[in-house]
Amino acid sequence: MQKFFELDRIDAKKRDVVERVKDYNEIYEVFRPLKAEEQAERCVQCGDPYCHNKCPLHNLIPQWLKSIASNDLELAFNLSNEPSPFPEVMGRICPHDRLCEGDCTLNDGHGAITIGSIETFISEDGFKNGLKPRFSDEKVGKKVAIIGAGPAGLSVATFLLREGVDVEIFDKQNRAGGLMTYGIPGFKLDKSIIARRVDFLKEAGAKFTQNCEVGKDISFKELEENYDAIFIGTGATKGRKSGLKGENAENCYLSMEFLTIIQKKLFNEECELQVNVKEKRVIVIGGGDTAMDCVRTSLREKARTVKCLYRRDSENMPGSKKEYINAKEEGVEFEFFSSPKSLVLNKKGEIKSINMIKTKLTNPDNSGRRKVEEIEGSEYNLKADIVIFALGFDSVEYPFFNENGIEVDKWGGVKVDKNYQTTKAGVYAGGDCHRGADLVVTAVYDGREAAKAIVESFR
Amino acid sequence: MRDLFTAFKDNCGFGLLASIDNTPSHKNLEDAIISLSRMMHRGAVAADGKSGDGSGLLLSIPKKFFALELKKDGITLPEKYAVAMVFYKDESNLDIIQEICENNDLKVFYKREVPVDTDALGVQAIESLPKMVQLFVTPNSLIGTRRFDALIYLSRKEIEFKLENNNDFYIPSFSTEVISYKGLVMPTHIKHFYKDLSSTDFEISFCLFHQRFSTNTLPQWKLAQPFRTIAHNGEINSITANRFNVMAKAEDMKSDVFNDDEMSRLVNIIQSQMSDSASVDNFFEFLNVNGVDFFKAARAMFPAPWQNAPHMDADLRAFYEYTSTCFEPWDGPAAVSMTDGRYIGCVLDRNGLRPAKYIITKDNRILIASEYGVLDIDEDDIVEKGRLQSGEMIGIDLKYGKVLKSNDIDDYLKTKEPYGEWLNENMTYLQEHMDNPFSKVTEIPKGVLEAKQRYFNITHEVIDQVIEPMIKEGKESTASMGDDTPLAAFSNTQRNFSDFFKQKFAQVTNPPIDPIREKVVMSLNSGFGEIRNILNDDSNHAKRLKNSSPILSAENLEIILDFGNESDPKYEESYKAKMYNTSFGDSLENSLNILVENILKDIIDDGIRTVVLDDRILDSEVKIMPMLMVVGRVNQYLLENKVRHLATIIVSSGEVYDSHMAASMIAFGASAIYPYMLYKTVLKVTERKGVEVEIAPLLKKVRKALDSGLLKIMSKMGIATIASYRNSKLFDIIGLDKQIVNDCFDGAFSLLNGLGYSDIQERIELIHKNSYCDKIKNRIYPLNIGGFYKFLEGGEYHDYSPSVVHAIHRLSETGKKEDFDILKDLIENRDKKFIRDFFDLNSDKKSISLDEVEPKEAIFKRFVTAAMSLGSISPEAHECLAEAMNTIGGMSNSGEGGEDSARFNTIKNSKIKQIASGRFGVTPAYLRSADELQIKVAQGAKPGEGGQLPGHKVTKLIGRLRHTIPGVTLISPPPHHDIYSIEDLSQLIFDLKQVNPDATIAVKLVSTAGVGTIAAGVAKAYADKIIISGADGGTGAAPIGSVKFAGNPWELGLIEAHNALKANNLRGQVHLQTDGGLKTGLDVVKAAMFGAESYAFGTGALTVIGCKLLRICHLNRCTVGIATQEQRLREHYTGTVIKVINYFTLLANDVREILAHLGYKSIEDIVGRSDLLKVIDDEFAKKFNFENLIYRLDGVDTQQVKFNEPYDKNEFEIDVLKEAMSAIKKPSDPIIIHRDIANVNRSFGARISGEIAKYYGDKGLPENTIDIRLTGTAGQSLGAFLSNGVSIHIKGAGNDYIGKGMSGGRIVIASEKEGGDNYSLGGNTCLYGATGGKLYINGQVGERFAVRNSGAIAIVEGTGDHPCEYMTGGVIIILGKTGVNFGAGMTGGVAFVLDTEHEFIENINQGLVEARRIDTDGTDIERYYLKKLLKDYYKETNSKKAKDILDNFRISIRDFWLVRPKDMKMPLQIEDGE
Repeated sequence: MQKFFELDRIDAKKRDVVERVKDYNEIYEVFRPLKAEEQAERCVQCGDPYCHNKCPLHNLIPQWLKSIASNDLELAFNLSNEPSPFPEVMGRICPHDRLCEGDCTLNDGHGAITIGSIETFISEDGFKNGLKPRFSDEKVGKKVAIIGAGPAGLSVATFLLREGVDVEIFDKQNRAGGLMTYGIPGFKLDKSIIARRVDFLKEAGAKFTQNCEVGKDISFKELEENYDAIFIGTGATKGRKSGLKGENAENCYLSMEFLTIIQKKLFNEECELQVNVKEKRVIVIGGGDTAMDCVRTSLREKARTVKCLYRRDSENMPGSKKEYINAKEEGVEFEFFSSPKSLVLNKKGEIKSINMIKTKLTNPDNSGRRKVEEIEGSEYNLKADIVIFALGFDSVEYPFFNENGIEVDKWGGVKVDKNYQTTKAGVYAGGDCHRGADLVVTAVYDGREAAKAIVESFR
Repeated sequence: MRDLFTAFKDNCGFGLLASIDNTPSHKNLEDAIISLSRMMHRGAVAADGKSGDGSGLLLSIPKKFFALELKKDGITLPEKYAVAMVFYKDESNLDIIQEICENNDLKVFYKREVPVDTDALGVQAIESLPKMVQLFVTPNSLIGTRRFDALIYLSRKEIEFKLENNNDFYIPSFSTEVISYKGLVMPTHIKHFYKDLSSTDFEISFCLFHQRFSTNTLPQWKLAQPFRTIAHNGEINSITANRFNVMAKAEDMKSDVFNDDEMSRLVNIIQSQMSDSASVDNFFEFLNVNGVDFFKAARAMFPAPWQNAPHMDADLRAFYEYTSTCFEPWDGPAAVSMTDGRYIGCVLDRNGLRPAKYIITKDNRILIASEYGVLDIDEDDIVEKGRLQSGEMIGIDLKYGKVLKSNDIDDYLKTKEPYGEWLNENMTYLQEHMDNPFSKVTEIPKGVLEAKQRYFNITHEVIDQVIEPMIKEGKESTASMGDDTPLAAFSNTQRNFSDFFKQKFAQVTNPPIDPIREKVVMSLNSGFGEIRNILNDDSNHAKRLKNSSPILSAENLEIILDFGNESDPKYEESYKAKMYNTSFGDSLENSLNILVENILKDIIDDGIRTVVLDDRILDSEVKIMPMLMVVGRVNQYLLENKVRHLATIIVSSGEVYDSHMAASMIAFGASAIYPYMLYKTVLKVTERKGVEVEIAPLLKKVRKALDSGLLKIMSKMGIATIASYRNSKLFDIIGLDKQIVNDCFDGAFSLLNGLGYSDIQERIELIHKNSYCDKIKNRIYPLNIGGFYKFLEGGEYHDYSPSVVHAIHRLSETGKKEDFDILKDLIENRDKKFIRDFFDLNSDKKSISLDEVEPKEAIFKRFVTAAMSLGSISPEAHECLAEAMNTIGGMSNSGEGGEDSARFNTIKNSKIKQIASGRFGVTPAYLRSADELQIKVAQGAKPGEGGQLPGHKVTKLIGRLRHTIPGVTLISPPPHHDIYSIEDLSQLIFDLKQVNPDATIAVKLVSTAGVGTIAAGVAKAYADKIIISGADGGTGAAPIGSVKFAGNPWELGLIEAHNALKANNLRGQVHLQTDGGLKTGLDVVKAAMFGAESYAFGTGALTVIGCKLLRICHLNRCTVGIATQEQRLREHYTGTVIKVINYFTLLANDVREILAHLGYKSIEDIVGRSDLLKVIDDEFAKKFNFENLIYRLDGVDTQQVKFNEPYDKNEFEIDVLKEAMSAIKKPSDPIIIHRDIANVNRSFGARISGEIAKYYGDKGLPENTIDIRLTGTAGQSLGAFLSNGVSIHIKGAGNDYIGKGMSGGRIVIASEKEGGDNYSLGGNTCLYGATGGKLYINGQVGERFAVRNSGAIAIVEGTGDHPCEYMTGGVIIILGKTGVNFGAGMTGGVAFVLDTEHEFIENINQGLVEARRIDTDGTDIERYYLKKLLKDYYKETNSKKAKDILDNFRISIRDFWLVRPKDMKMPLQIEDGE
């Protein structure tokens, strides 16, 4: 270990940019064993493992880095899969540069350990070598209904199955995975990855009921009657609006809407809405990971130009740095310090252009935050054929919440106690439906902890 | 704890003088008294010059004097009589004596008041002065001489027992042969006090004399030495074990001298409430009285190291091995003189840690003393001037008038009985019955291995950090930074029972041993089987099973069980074995009681002799008792029931996976351990990797690791053999209640009280539940991950967690109060993790405004950064801390490793300069550049251990500062080789006060029970400042077990030291400092209230400059450029002076706010104010005895003087310096100074050298500018820190520590008389840490010559053991015999050794060095360099030997060896010889 002194950080190899924008396949290659070993050997094995501390799941990062460095794949696989329901997913989509890699001791000039890529490698190589996640052989004779097959739902299912608790998942989409299936484009997370995990769960006895919305297709009461506990993981899929006049125009989309349409199209699934950006000028407003997904998807959908507008600069983007770089590489144009003022519509009610204004950052306030200020007289106009707003998400307040005494807070998040139990006994919730839009990893964490609490309640 | 405030330890100066042919004379007495009074500096002296810690004389009975005295009363002395010297206050005591004597057929026929003059006494001595009387006793009927002596002993023992509780009553001597005159009187006044001694009729033929240095100021009359048979200089480290073992051996002893009834009346062989030396006396006397041969008894208690001495005579080895079945060494620094009236002996411990020098004169007298020159004897009258070497004994047979040398005694002892034959016939080595040890691991009966691993706390981390390194390296792994986790008692996570136990270590009053470089004296040789009557000599004693280690393989255990199994052909009754499982049911306490009851019954009724305690029964249903608890309880219970000697306790436990755990079992009574879970885990780890590996070599490596770990733990306490360590109980127990300690661990120090049986049971039940519950059975990774060694979310609490580190980084960057508050929040809400967390502030005053509180600048003066050497940290970090501390008015500490002289007198100068055991770069200029000189006796992270800086870290700069060559590994030995005892420390302090009279001398100790005693002693040794370090202190590298398990939290040590100093009225003499994880103002304020006046920051300060607690300092890979010398990493260093200032400013302001809140204006006002603290109101806190910690004694709480001035003002050298000043002022006018010198003139040359360094630095003066010609025997530390330009020529001799730290100049010692092999002119540990200069001695020197020399050139004509140890540079020429262990740890420099007897090669420690001939073509450079030096030597000394060699150079060159480190292949770099 401690090879950081001799070896530089090397990221997983990316596919050639010209090639990769032609399809939706993952752009990163999985490390080859030797490379993973080498990169893992760079780890300092700190007395204070900042990576582990920063990771919301408290993944046993130094431990599996050392195992993989000593070519002990099985140990690494077990260590990696112990606290995490699907490390190979997290290895691909977690914003490592803000979490583990960001807090890595070596991220002060030496180059952080490539934690994400190694995490992906461990499970992928493990699967290749016949390793599988383990679930309990013995059943405890309890059954839990899970509403929503997104990150939180799959996490809670995984950890319940490990304890021998039966689970049935009710999900309104055609396929399980929630955001991970419909929200995150395939070039970041291949759709087979989630399908594989879903298959593991099915193999372990999980029942998936797709295209089934609670409150519509099945009543909450029914669940209550037939299950020993219920977990709600319905996510935060409601896109935030800009509040600008004209934002309901036909050629204006919310990011999740847009991504889902495309994904469904790729799946050959039916979809009410349609979109076609081919040869069009696409403008995406927002600087987060979802914005990056939108711009890069637009490129793959052969847009004429793709522009990303953000009111801060690249340094202050909320998303993952590497996603920004990937987008840039692929040909996305970025305009920083610019904010939309109004949408210019034609007679058909279509957006033709956007009136923008330049912005600047104020000096940091007491909490170190820098606010955005508009610069007077810096207005300008941008032509647009398609406008996509990627401004964040809110929880969806389903009617069955209220009907069953499941309270929500003022932001619409489901209220839970420290055991993830909602205001209704026996009903648990976690993930974005409780937190509001957050990371996949925090939803996964909620799922894990809720599962523990549920199992504990059965003892 | 309060008992600790007045506890004591003692060391001293000692000696004996005898007429070899037993001729009595008054001159003998006078000379003995002169000799004793000339070692006054080795004792403690109060300011009045009268009060000391005691001195005394043990004399042959002055028959002529008594005859005359009694005649005055008309009494004629009978032929056969004994005299009892009695101290008493209560007259009725004498009646008891009378009565018991009469019962024993003895008659007291005369009572003589001992005439004394109390003018000779100091105040304290007068206050405690007992009445003194001499009782003359004769046999009441016709009984033989032998019987008379026995009855005297029996009577005395009965009297002592009867008056046990009468503290004023004491019988210094009661004998037909000897009489004791001793007490709290200075040697110079003893004659004045005891008027008898002035009478010229008082004629004696021999005298043992002694001067005591006690660590406390409450000395007692009865503790003065000599005792009834011995005088002892040193300290018995294994005393607790020896006392325990005496009790066990006494359970069933048969004597030829006493019948069984009488034996039963000889209760308490060892008198309670007495010193270690008194216990030695008790046992030695007991053996003697019971007819054990005088020399056998001496060598049984103080054996030479025989176990690893392959060249020792086979019969002698047999004698020792045989004797070891009954006796374990009384181990520790010891020079003991002893007498039974017929013989006189003097024996030195196996490691030669005390000095004993002898002179035989023409008038047939012998004088043995700690120093040469205590009596002025004309050179012409001296026949022999020698010294005892490690493990040697010298004896005098007064009857036949013969001196018996060590080999005479050996020859006598080894031929007494056919020991070799007895051993051959009876002793069995387990190895004999084994083909392939470690080829298997016994199956654990049932259950899931992982569950057991969880139960025994074998976590992923333990495997990774503890077990795998043992498999790979065969040794304990290395860790760095300190321990920041709570005590086991305060922890909320799963902890091992052995975590309650903290290893003891030697500091100041006794030295640790180097278990690697001085392994030759150590041994783990373990024997099993019952102990028989130790007063007999017969072949039965040899009936033992033996193993070379107490750590057993599966096969070892099997064979032991075979020998104890009636149906096995190997069966022998005396090994009859039974296994006992250690499970428990509903009540831990009851189950424990039932178990020990069963064992006792089996021993008595069924003849069980091998008790195997086994916890393999553990499973999902069965819980087990902590094995350590069981062992302790069984050990103790068997002793209480007087059958301990019959049984051997063997442990088969999953609880042992590191050496700490093994050591704790052994210290509480286990003879051997089978650590099955460790083996099983090794197997599992290996199997899982899927490679076909042979398991035996791996398990052997693991055992080797445990073995060396055990040696390390023993050596920390200065104990050399496992036999002396067993039953030693050398642990502090923190957090267990009285009942557990009384039942199981009686005799160990116990602090804080705490958890009881039910609490422990609760914890076990929880662990059991957690290990076996359903919750984890479905884990993908079945083991617990850990978190004890490194931070892990959900694991053990760490005070330097990632968030704390982030907070410190942030606040030092911004300097903002809000950011400091984040840190405060984290620290102050950690909730009962450290002792200080159990106290709240409780002011007696109203708050005041912040303006009224002293300014931050006043508080800065109390802040220092802890010692961190340049080497352990980078130059950038080192200089940054220095500059920052100097800027705010605090102080930084250079650490051990020198400092660039370019930094002296600049803002980058470290004001504190450290003197540690390696003495690297300790030069006159270095010492002179300091405001404070800190002697590091122990280090928090690894007290009792040394360290090493690996060669790859020794850069050019470090090499230069440490006076070595870059790339050479530098070893710091565990002990300071000039501090084996308190009087040695006193000497070093004296040395330093001479070389830099303006500096404060500080002594750094580590918290442990008993540190108060040590602190009092250190104050009496004239230190100005004492630092009590917490065991949590950081380190660049230390064995992982030492970081975790040695030493105590600073709070306990500080409170004890503060109060012990107060109890001894010494608090006003010294300043107290503490360190250990201090972070916030509240920490500082609490430390002040516990008694600390200043505060040191180590890890905290490093964190401020960027440390991230990576704990990889030892790898040279520190990513933030602090703990590394790697240029590329140093570029990543982000620390700044401003950051450090920011932190300390925020801290000082935080302190000020708390002070304002408390209503106090300054720190000074709250130091020692433990009444301003109250124990928190908390249920958990009630389990412990925290109230005891804030008990406040009367007296001053802070230092009241600027300097703690030594009694010795060194007027001698100050006078010489006056004369030398002209040459210092004007070096172009050299000066020659003539003087007579005596042994009381110590550290000669240091004062002058310091003065030179003040003006000229280490460059000094031109050669020979000050030429001092002396006649006589110089005191200790002659030429210490000698500067360039000073030459000292002595006609006479020197003592210990000649040329210590010398930097230049030359010392020449030549006797008038031609030396030869039996002529010593120097003592022990010469040239320790020397960096330059020349030393020529035309005679022999003592042990450890040129230890850690890095530049001096020396020629002597013979040395004791361990020459050139740890040497890193310089040239040593030895024209004669050397002792063993030559060149241990020698990584640099060269030695030439003349070996005419062809025995030298055996003496080399082949670890690092090799010897080559120099009569080849390739060695002409070396050859002629040698010749050139010899010529110079001859010119200076007129040595006959040198002349012979030079005259026959071509021939004699063939007898020379050149010794140099193996990895230094470059040609000799010839420095300018002149």
